[in-house]
Amino acid sequence: MTAPNEILPVATGAQVRAHVWQVLGTRWRELAAVVALYASATIAGLVPPSLLGGIVTDVQQGTTAGRIDLLAAGIAAALVVQAVLIRFGALAGAKLGEALLATFREDFIGGVLALPLSVVERAGSGDLLTRSSRDVSTLSVTARRGVPAMLTALLAVSLTLGAIALDSPLLVLPCLVVVPPVWGAARWYLRRATAGYLRENASWGVLTDSLAETVDGARTVEALRLGPARRDRTDADIAACWAAERYTLRLRTFFLPAAEASYILPLAGVLAFGGFAYLRGWCTLGQVTAGALYARALVAPMDELIMWLDYLQIGAASLARLLGLAQVPPDRQAGSARPADDRLRVTDVSHSYIPGHDVLRRISLAAEPGERIAIVGPSGAGKSTLGRLLAGITGPDRGEVAVGGVPLIELPLGDLRSQIALVTQEHHIFAGTLRDNLTLGMPDASDQAVLAALAAVDALGWAEELGLSSQVGSGGAALSAPQAQQVALARLILADPHTLVLDEATSLLDPRSARRLEQSLSAVLEGRTVLAIAHRLHTAHDADRVIVMEDGQISESGPHRELIAADGPYAALWRSWHGEARSGRPRQAGQPGEAVHDAVDKASSSAGSGG
Amino acid sequence: MRPLPVADPGTPELRSAWRFIGWLMARQRASVLLGILWGCGWMIAQALVPAAIGAAVDALAAKNTSAFTLDCMAVLGLGAATAVTGVLRHRRVVANFLDAAYRIIQLISAHAARLGNTLARLLSTGEVISVGTADVEAVGGAIDMTGRGSGAIAALVVVAVILLSRSVPLGLVVLIGGPVMTALVGALLRPLHRRQQAYRGLQGQLASRAADIVAGLRVLRGIGGEAAFSARYRDQSQDLRHTGVHVARTESFLFSAEILLPGMFVTAATWIAAHYALHRAITPGQLVTFYAYTSFLALPLATLTEAADKLVRGHVGADRVIAILRLRPDITDPASPAREPGPGAALHDPVSGMTAAAGEFIGLAAADPGEAAELADRIGRYLPGTDPAGAVLGGVPVADLPVATVRSRILVAANDAHLFAGRLDEQLAGARPATERTTLAALSAASAHDVVEAVPGGLGGHLAARGRTLSGGQAQRLRLARALLAEPEVLVLVEPTSAVDAHTEARIASGLREARRNRTTVVVSNSPLLLDLADRVLFLRDGRVDAEGTHAELLSASPAYASAVTRGEP
Repeated sequence: MTAPNEILPVATGAQVRAHVWQVLGTRWRELAAVVALYASATIAGLVPPSLLGGIVTDVQQGTTAGRIDLLAAGIAAALVVQAVLIRFGALAGAKLGEALLATFREDFIGGVLALPLSVVERAGSGDLLTRSSRDVSTLSVTARRGVPAMLTALLAVSLTLGAIALDSPLLVLPCLVVVPPVWGAARWYLRRATAGYLRENASWGVLTDSLAETVDGARTVEALRLGPARRDRTDADIAACWAAERYTLRLRTFFLPAAEASYILPLAGVLAFGGFAYLRGWCTLGQVTAGALYARALVAPMDELIMWLDYLQIGAASLARLLGLAQVPPDRQAGSARPADDRLRVTDVSHSYIPGHDVLRRISLAAEPGERIAIVGPSGAGKSTLGRLLAGITGPDRGEVAVGGVPLIELPLGDLRSQIALVTQEHHIFAGTLRDNLTLGMPDASDQAVLAALAAVDALGWAEELGLSSQVGSGGAALSAPQAQQVALARLILADPHTLVLDEATSLLDPRSARRLEQSLSAVLEGRTVLAIAHRLHTAHDADRVIVMEDGQISESGPHRELIAADGPYAALWRSWHGEARSGRPRQAGQPGEAVHDAVDKASSSAGSGG
Repeated sequence: MRPLPVADPGTPELRSAWRFIGWLMARQRASVLLGILWGCGWMIAQALVPAAIGAAVDALAAKNTSAFTLDCMAVLGLGAATAVTGVLRHRRVVANFLDAAYRIIQLISAHAARLGNTLARLLSTGEVISVGTADVEAVGGAIDMTGRGSGAIAALVVVAVILLSRSVPLGLVVLIGGPVMTALVGALLRPLHRRQQAYRGLQGQLASRAADIVAGLRVLRGIGGEAAFSARYRDQSQDLRHTGVHVARTESFLFSAEILLPGMFVTAATWIAAHYALHRAITPGQLVTFYAYTSFLALPLATLTEAADKLVRGHVGADRVIAILRLRPDITDPASPAREPGPGAALHDPVSGMTAAAGEFIGLAAADPGEAAELADRIGRYLPGTDPAGAVLGGVPVADLPVATVRSRILVAANDAHLFAGRLDEQLAGARPATERTTLAALSAASAHDVVEAVPGGLGGHLAARGRTLSGGQAQRLRLARALLAEPEVLVLVEPTSAVDAHTEARIASGLREARRNRTTVVVSNSPLLLDLADRVLFLRDGRVDAEGTHAELLSASPAYASAVTRGEP
């Protein structure tokens, strides 16, 4: 079973090639130096066969020991030159490769950091994880080994053919005979290979994804005894991966023998053809010898070429996945207009995730600067979606969410954050120091400001005990969920936007510390606009205005006391949460939940008719 | 082709990295041996070509057309043999590579499941993933190398025999010079090994950094800091780049030596051979043979060097793999497990004084929820060590029971429990098979019907990892349904309704009560709605049960309780 993940886009072959050329173009001098060094090294390597051909002819025709010593010394000198050039070529190649590799992975992470959020959620983190680990690592091997090897081999093949032509132009013919069949086989193979390797990489991605889940959810696996289920999952993913691997292996099973035949045919051809020519007296034995040795010298670079051609496909597939991030269309288009004031206004907004199923229907709402608004309502009413729109993370399908007259989706991200911030239930402590974690949005914040923010969220005690420079997050000190929540709130205080959207931000805290946190927050947030999405009604109690959402619409709006007095759905919810409907209820052993159920059902039916 | 994965990856040998690699090979001994056999055939076929060329040159010199034709045929035949054995070897070693790689992934995955909480505390997910990808590849690469590596040795032997049969002194030069050179190349490898390890370490850190960015991306995009993270990644990436160049500097000398050492060695041999040929001690064809081995010897020697390199990498990788496989859980089975209490056992926690009779529905409120969470962990035996003051089930301390027994009887359903990707109904059922009826009943009790509708395809649809496509409240209700469906004898629910609205919470409260009828249930929560439905509410203060009674009784009897659950509101 494979996960029907909406995999992130993958760049096309043409896009990958264009990108590679463009990047190489910026470093053409280094590239030229590498090519020149390798080419010179290859030419030095072609001297010995020619000298040996000379020795063979000389020995056959009679010569002196001195001449042999001279030719041998020539071979040795050529070797030394070749070795020295290889050394510098390899180093220059590695420098270039490392530089390109760093560019690719940094661009990739830059792309990850610029991804629209909705896209990340759809694709799941596994795909991104695979791209950032396996694909980066594959590309690393390709850039550090594959590309230099390909370059060397290409130079060797072409220069060796040149040497054969110099030795005896006739002997080039048998070498060229193999070109059509090899070209055909390579075409057949390469046409199928890319798709095969993409599938192979994707199957490894799924495998990595499951492993990451098993590690992430290790405690859950233990608690629910999911070990066997996880094992089955891993086995199923492996089976899928093995099927993908078998496919590419089958491709190579046909292609590799064809490639291998292409090495030996030129040699046999040069030997037979040259022998025939020698017997006819068209050339010397030395020329045949040198020609045969050159044809043999084609084997190693051809082998290298074929081997890395294969790997280059894998590398190109990885690169296509890394570059694919650039294909994700941006979710915002920054305009030049700047907000006239700090007023947040929602006008006639509708939004849906699935066409035809509106999560929000024609919502309008305005927040005065400094106003505290609580948005309440049952799960699934669309509160979180509204929160995301209010914070400018997603643009609405229809209608407009604007601050100071400028739609949020047209504000550059940096500007948006200085205006509005969203804090959600999701909190993540990044690997790094506690200070790093606090100053995410404000890298220049002073220690004083950091400590003040911690004090405001009542986290100064544990934070000072731990130390701002302590490593936290994975591999460092573990923070509890409330502590992580406090860090998230302190981040916001440091970022200092004029409007905050709190999406059930305090829900994971126990009621008492949530209370404490809200009290510290209300002091800190003085003068700021706050839109708090809450399911705990105490938040609503403290707000200037309560907005009750039901089924994607605003059903009630007004201050807490007015809504209680109105005795509508909000009043019913408030009573059921406070347990007032049950006070004095006689305890019935058999049906403990019935009375509450009735009360809530009544509340919900009155909400339905009232909304 | 063999069916993969294997049903049981077996018990690995973890005493050392080499033993581990040896163990992996022993699991597929026949196949590894076949890979070696084809590798040898492939290399030997290539090693015979120079001899055939030499013979052809001699036949030409002697103008012996039929011998020449035969030699040309031999060259062709050897080419065909190389092609056939080459592909057989390739198929074999790829399968061997994957057998080893898959086996390691199976082992790591199973071990991660065994380690549970311990693993998360010791290693980041990124590090485990790095081992599960790059290191697995390195170990597989070492095993892959056995085919070509052995072939290289075989080829060296064949070359030595051919050269010795032509001329003993020249053969001796090869026999002595070959190993000397391999040793020299090996000496060059040592500093490379060190630097590669440094490179690998940095690479792992960089992968962890990337994984961290991916995991916290939603937070980052919300609050900002992309520039800082990008810069930090860039710094680390540049460090890796410079270390990479450092490694390459050492490597470039190695490449150079790979050309120079064998080249000089055979040049010397050719020089001597040329003098032999001058004095007619060998033929010109044999001289060509000697020389042809110049470039040919570079192949087996480079292969041996590559093999050494791959073994080094494999060793580093295997070290990191066994470091994970060697981790032991903090919580271990007792040396001599006590007899398991029968069903219907009461639960008691001596530290806090909490007791739950069999089948009782207990509400557990706390002045400090941290203490309640610790109590839940103690009951579920998640605290490390063999705490003598741990919880007691049916008169038997849970620390005296095998961990598996505790897990099968007591389920602590934590709020941050992971929702795994997969078919929704399968993920809800977890370890036990569930019928659609029981699944729907559990969903109904958890008031989670609407969640099923939110998943495309419903119960047969795909649940995204961590329930990412769901809201916090929806994910929480799925977790609750999953815990109910597990039907444990004792269920400890930690804040099961913290992320749902009051309306839904009321529905859950009654559904929960019904679903757990006559089964021991401890609900850790300060929510009045849940507490009001409990048979008995215990109020935890300073780690001890401070008061107990019904919710209504405690509200009037304990001001501290009232303050904790209603948060002192009017």
